[in-house]
Amino acid sequence: MQNCAEKLCFEFNNSAERLVGSLEYMLEHIAGNIPARADAEDILFKSKVIITELLTNGIKHAGNNNTSFEIETYPDCLVIRKTDLGTPLYLVEPDHQPAMAGENKKLISADMLNSLYAIWESENHIRFASEEGTFDEVLPVEQVMEHFGILIITCSSDEFTYTYDKHTHSNTFRVQLIF
Amino acid sequence: MITVNNEGPKFVIADVTITEANLSNSDQFKTELVRLLDEHKKIIILDLQELKYVDSAFLGALVSSLKYAISLKLDIVLVGLRNDIRDLIKLIRLDKVFKIYNYAEEAQFAVNKF
Repeated sequence: MQNCAEKLCFEFNNSAERLVGSLEYMLEHIAGNIPARADAEDILFKSKVIITELLTNGIKHAGNNNTSFEIETYPDCLVIRKTDLGTPLYLVEPDHQPAMAGENKKLISADMLNSLYAIWESENHIRFASEEGTFDEVLPVEQVMEHFGILIITCSSDEFTYTYDKHTHSNTFRVQLIF
Repeated sequence: MITVNNEGPKFVIADVTITEANLSNSDQFKTELVRLLDEHKKIIILDLQELKYVDSAFLGALVSSLKYAISLKLDIVLVGLRNDIRDLIKLIRLDKVFKIYNYAEEAQFAVNKF
């Protein structure tokens, strides 16, 4: 990754009423910084769904503190980073980490449409990955999951990670989109 | 939030009248949709043309309502989706569980053939 060309820092107060205004503000910044060679429509669609889910996550989990957003544009990619001091993601709790020594990947949700995996790159640093189900016909809906936040970001991004900093008690979601 | 626009022997066409469907109103959305299913006992053709912003909480409410509809041997059919909302639904493959049409008339025609 080369030097950051443009950076936007934004504080979100975790109010649902400010969700759309905050989203539009960040999208406007991104729209003005997409290189001409990139597929702007695709980048803006992915940015919209990713930032929407990160804002929703802030409303749900960040508590009374603000959620900080940083949007960095590099010549080859866009990085969206969201940090808050709310409750840590359940996956960093010991009970939810892979049970077998040496294993670092765990299926965290699945239905016939999608499988979502967490991959522990260290104790408090998780990368998410998804796989499409192989069933392509119309499905029995009873088996479909109802929680899509992490899945939406994983499917939209080229890299999606979560880091919990034990010292500062901060949660950071980092999403990368390659141009 | 959901208004009945038209009703046929097999279906109810219902308009979603909000522009933002997210965490703050997804529970109410589900409550109203479930009530429509209970009151009318017909397939719901849900017109989403007013919707500009949705999040995962809204999609969860939609799937949960669809499960309830299926348990009643009914269905929820989606029409009038903006391109980006349709793309989001496709992204997580919910187009495999929802019947989606461009217009209510198209859905009406299909429902009458069910």
